[in-house]
Amino acid sequence: MADITPNPDFTREVIANGGETLNLCYQCGTCTGSCLSSRMTAFKTRKAVRMAQLGMKDQVLSSKDLWYCTTCYTCYERCPRGVDIPGVLFAMRNLAVQAGHMAEGHKRTSEAIITYGHAVRPSDKNTELRKALGLVETPPTVLVHESGLMDIKRIMCKTGFDKLIGKPIDLGAGAVLK
Amino acid sequence: MPRIGVYICHCGLNIASVVNVEELREYAEELDDVVTAKDIDYVCSDAGQDEIKLDIERHNLERVVIAACSPRMHESTLRKTLGEAGLNPYLLEVANIREQCSWVHIADSAKATQKAKDLIRMAVSKARWLEPLYPRKIPAIKNALIIGGGVAGINAALDLADAGHEVYLVEKKFTIGGHMALLNEIFPSNDCSICVLAPKMVDASTHPHITLYTNSEVESVEGSVGNFKVRIKKKPRYVDEDKCKGCIEDCANLCPIEVPNEVDAGISNRKAIYLPIPQAVPLCACIDPEHCVGCRLCEEGCEPKAINFDQKDERIEVDVGAIIVATGYKPFDAARKPEYGYGTIPNVITTMELERLLNASGPTRGKVKRISDGRVPGKVAFIQCVGSRDAQVGNLYCSSVCCMSAMKNAQLIRERYPDTEVKIFYIDIRATGSGYEEYYDKARKEGVKFIRSSVSEVWDTRNHNPVMRYEDTLACESREEEFDMVVLSIGMEPSENIKELESILNLAENPAGFLAPAHLKTRPVDTHVDGIFIAGCAIGPKDIQTSIAQGCAAASHAFRLLEPGEIELEPFSAYVIDMLCTGCKLCEDICQYDNIKLIDGVAKLDEVTCKGCGSCAAACPTGAIVVRHFTDEQIYSQINSVLGDKSEYPLIIAFLCNWCAYAGADIAGSLRIQYPTNVRIIRVMCSGRVNPRFVLEAIQNGADGVLVAGCRQGECHYGEGNYLARRRMKILKEILRDVGFDDRRIRVAGISASDGEKFAEIIHDFTEELMRIGPTGAEFMGEEDAESILEVENSNDSG
Repeated sequence: MADITPNPDFTREVIANGGETLNLCYQCGTCTGSCLSSRMTAFKTRKAVRMAQLGMKDQVLSSKDLWYCTTCYTCYERCPRGVDIPGVLFAMRNLAVQAGHMAEGHKRTSEAIITYGHAVRPSDKNTELRKALGLVETPPTVLVHESGLMDIKRIMCKTGFDKLIGKPIDLGAGAVLK
Repeated sequence: MPRIGVYICHCGLNIASVVNVEELREYAEELDDVVTAKDIDYVCSDAGQDEIKLDIERHNLERVVIAACSPRMHESTLRKTLGEAGLNPYLLEVANIREQCSWVHIADSAKATQKAKDLIRMAVSKARWLEPLYPRKIPAIKNALIIGGGVAGINAALDLADAGHEVYLVEKKFTIGGHMALLNEIFPSNDCSICVLAPKMVDASTHPHITLYTNSEVESVEGSVGNFKVRIKKKPRYVDEDKCKGCIEDCANLCPIEVPNEVDAGISNRKAIYLPIPQAVPLCACIDPEHCVGCRLCEEGCEPKAINFDQKDERIEVDVGAIIVATGYKPFDAARKPEYGYGTIPNVITTMELERLLNASGPTRGKVKRISDGRVPGKVAFIQCVGSRDAQVGNLYCSSVCCMSAMKNAQLIRERYPDTEVKIFYIDIRATGSGYEEYYDKARKEGVKFIRSSVSEVWDTRNHNPVMRYEDTLACESREEEFDMVVLSIGMEPSENIKELESILNLAENPAGFLAPAHLKTRPVDTHVDGIFIAGCAIGPKDIQTSIAQGCAAASHAFRLLEPGEIELEPFSAYVIDMLCTGCKLCEDICQYDNIKLIDGVAKLDEVTCKGCGSCAAACPTGAIVVRHFTDEQIYSQINSVLGDKSEYPLIIAFLCNWCAYAGADIAGSLRIQYPTNVRIIRVMCSGRVNPRFVLEAIQNGADGVLVAGCRQGECHYGEGNYLARRRMKILKEILRDVGFDDRRIRVAGISASDGEKFAEIIHDFTEELMRIGPTGAEFMGEEDAESILEVENSNDSG
């Protein structure tokens, strides 16, 4: 049996961070049935809300399922209790990240931002297309402006985001954090 | 000045063990105008009352003050005592020295005795200003109007008519019977609905004391309890009720117009001339003017010559003493839940439509058939809570009958088609009536499957088998499942014309839009308008047996009112001194009973319908409105008598409403919840009666704090009096703050009649706060001055 020792502090934390309507839920399952993701994955919207209500912190924060919501908002639109379900899920995702449970894909995307300043780098195909259209090969973003990339790194470092994704940045001895 | 007698009750040891009764008596004897003061073991005993009666005669007393338990206990008995001794019963004032004193200050005899003296002094002061009052009697018309000819209205009508009262029964539709006449069988006994109802419908139409107006509406109602003038609009049905035999075939067969039949929700068709249902009462054809093209073919077929195209709107005026509103409900429009596809997917139907399919006199003669192909469904799903408990459509309430009706229909389908699989998709099962849980058991035994789920969406397929997507919440599985037929268990909503009727009758509605009773728990079929009662689904969703019970209850309340032929009214009404009225109209806007009208520049107040809350008097800038038994002079005299001889610091004057806050303070007494002695209570009927001038008067004369407490928000016995009080005190506080006054000295609170704990807590907290703020006026002086005031106050206190 799963340990469901309630952790009321966790429930309160979810409520305080965007899940104000959490306790209105009466577990009817309209959300799960409406959920695009739950048709393909193990994610059960109602169950996630239930776990938040019961304060099942460890189970819910470490769960991969939490990241399968596509934020289509159909559940919110149909919920007969008016529960802001995506709000509850976002609150739990934020808490999960803080507790060190970020999804691998998100980590990789974040790494790309820190390294290149872009979530998606221009591909060769992209470059060819730009050339064909008569544009400069490299777009005038942080790819060209190195100081901009440095600024991004500083932000990531100062907010501690680099550590959250498990890739601490070494800005070097000379880098001054402003 | 009047001759006053004061009687102090020992209440055994309840009062005498804390308060020094002997000292009180000596004190009372010395008060002006008091000709005799006595202490009595039990004032409420026969001996006690005999003594008072004897004294009234012996000393020729003109006012009586009784210091005893709360007036809410024995005031009416004591009034009778005065009456028996030939004194007007309303020349009595009660000082509450038990609940407000001896029971709540057990540990401090000296202070309790001092407070009791103040309470007696206040009562004597008010007694000087008391005036004889006479409960008014007005003749009442013994007839009754019933609006709505459904099962609740029919039962109310029959009860009153059987008791000999003339009843006018007004029904909007062409037939009486309401929704119940359309149902198949009814839970939990599975009787045939129309078989139970039809005899009552016929009784109502043939009863010598009932006049039936179908296809009619109430247009206006004037007057008040005992004497309502009602105007009814009877719309034309273009068929003479006296001539039509109800054969229908002869006329309808000739009619070329065919339209969907509304009672069958479009499953079958009817002609433009038709019988609303085969069991219609009156059994008379009607012509639907919206669709009739006026070809007059029907006239040719009608042998009794009943068809009459010359009929016009008729106006009928009736006088009644009481009105019962039983206007029922409107089924939820399932198209408002587009994810269920009602109206676009043929085999998604509603409960009402299934009732018609199951009904032997319905469009399929009792056969359950798919709308798309007429095939008997092999697999049926019921979706519960459609339009109920759903914030998305704005209906937060449970419709209370859908669980039971789905179980009933599921069983009927299983009985008639044992091979058909039936699943009920529910969120929670509500089976709380007598025999209902057993009915739930029976449904399971008969093979009905229950899936705990709120279905998310339904879509159609090529062969019109609706597919449902849902999560089985107990199995924690998402599924897609195909059915032959999906039934939406639609809830109930307030009927269409309810708002119009509310404005005609001046009735209030609850947050869901149904009619609001005078009190949710204790007065379920009364409204806040005397003489108007409510019953059935007009108040909110309910099953048939409860609707009938309410119809009978409303009839019994109407009977109690009408039977004597006259109505006795409490004498605490307000009246206007014409000379002082400036015609500012404030009172007209304030009165929640629409009871004050400006006529020729002067406010006219109907004393018969006045409830005596006094909200108008509190708003009147010229003091032109007098509230009997709670006059300005009486209240000022209470304030001034306490403060004229201020006995304590800090001293709080508390204005408490009779129904909640005062009762709350009484409960603090009954529960012996102790609080500081620093409060002196003045009873008013409603906190809306508290004129800001009273508060100013108290503060100017040395009160350190003033508490105005009424019912909690939304619970005022006069609608919005507590809200008015809150608003007025807020403005007063703002004004006083502007001149440098510490506005914490004025507090407003809502205290329920059961919340003694809260009352005591407020007094504790307020007293402490006032100690910190200092004596009244301290905010206008230097610290030294304030201290010197305090010294004087303290010396008064100890003296």
